Amino acid sequence: MRYIATFHTHYGALKFQNDCRKAGFPAKTMPVPRKLSSSCGICVEFESSVLWLPEDREDLEAYYLVGEDGGYLPCQIEDGHA
Amino acid sequence: MGSIPTYSRQMHGAGILNDTGPFCVNKLIQEDDFVLKDRYKLPLVGVLVGVVALALTHLGNPANMGFCIACFLRDMAGSLGLHRAAVVQYMRPEVIGIVLGAFVISVLKKDFSVKGGSAPFSRFLLGFSVMIGALIFLGCPLRMLLRIGGGDLNAVVGLAGFVSGIGVGVVFLNKGFSLKRNYSLTKTEGYLFPAVNAGFLLLLVVVPSVLIFSESGPGSMRAPIWAALAAGLIVGVVGQRVRLCFVSGIRDSILFREFGMLTLFIALTATVAVGNILSNKFVLSFANQPVAHTESVWNFLGLFLVGLGSVLLGGCPYRQLVLAGSGNSDSAVTVLGLLVGAAFAHNFGLASSGAGTTPAGRIAFVICLIITLTIGLTNLNKSSASA
Repeated sequence: MRYIATFHTHYGALKFQNDCRKAGFPAKTMPVPRKLSSSCGICVEFESSVLWLPEDREDLEAYYLVGEDGGYLPCQIEDGHA
Repeated sequence: MGSIPTYSRQMHGAGILNDTGPFCVNKLIQEDDFVLKDRYKLPLVGVLVGVVALALTHLGNPANMGFCIACFLRDMAGSLGLHRAAVVQYMRPEVIGIVLGAFVISVLKKDFSVKGGSAPFSRFLLGFSVMIGALIFLGCPLRMLLRIGGGDLNAVVGLAGFVSGIGVGVVFLNKGFSLKRNYSLTKTEGYLFPAVNAGFLLLLVVVPSVLIFSESGPGSMRAPIWAALAAGLIVGVVGQRVRLCFVSGIRDSILFREFGMLTLFIALTATVAVGNILSNKFVLSFANQPVAHTESVWNFLGLFLVGLGSVLLGGCPYRQLVLAGSGNSDSAVTVLGLLVGAAFAHNFGLASSGAGTTPAGRIAFVICLIITLTIGLTNLNKSSASA
């Protein structure tokens, strides 16, 4: 499944991308799709068969499951970080 | 698509979450209200902004200055008595319109998001520095395009500096530059900036005698209040919806080969050029351009500083107005930095004129470049973010 994560900072997005890759998930940074919004304008799209969070997620703003029809399913993270 | 279960368990540390996890599911976000795809929408917005800018010039604004966020904030600083340059003082309704347009549309579209607290004073100083750079060039990135559309080749030199500054800013981003995250704030915080702008509009309409108005020079050249306000509202609304930003459009084409926003810039510039040609105002030259000078090195460097500072800020001066109207108090602080920068520029003779740059302006440029680079270099994260 494909996910998109948005971030409070550009740096957070780049770091998340690296963390994804280290964990073995293909990931890339890209501009935030126009129907979503974010503070920094950059998001990370990654492929994974499971929902996954890195340890450092201070800059993580939101998480979306990308639907096959192009929709985005927001996932609210309830640990106070996003 | 299937569903994701709702969970409430607290999650700490790294982890793979398959059948348990800290997620709950909200409403699916589908294609938004725009019928047109970006491919068509962005150039159309460019044409619209170009037409509005041409109309403002036709209705009385200075040549090649349908819009200029830097010049207009400078005029507003003068109108409030923050500087004493008698030729550039006016409470520009265009700026108020942009802020209020962005505010109204962001509230209507549930895009109004009150956030702040990300290095406010760094942002203030970056805003200050961006304004010094813009007033050395004599225009913000938006006016740069309008000047190119008028045939002003000095603005092409400025564009080269602007792109270079953005390129250096991108290097900072890839080296892990961050002013740290912002946080959600109370609604009141977000309403204050639009409210202050509404207050300025009230002053302009009801008690203009408390404000200062230029009787000659660029500040005296103005479209009628309601036309200027309407123009600002239009550009604020469409700019908020398509996230128009003259910096991020170029930044994203460097970073991600995402060229959509460039089509808007090209359409805007082409529209203005066609309008100027049709009205016999198009003059392709370096010399004798309106509110411009021919010192190429400083045209380049001025917009270099604007590009670099704006990448560190995350948006150009126009975008800062829109974000401030949409609840971002970091952007509101940045606009204050721009405003104070403009006041300094005219109180201390830092701003250029048609005759060129000033010695004090060149010194101020060096100081502001040092400030910007210092903020850039001291906010790099040690663990480089680049892959």
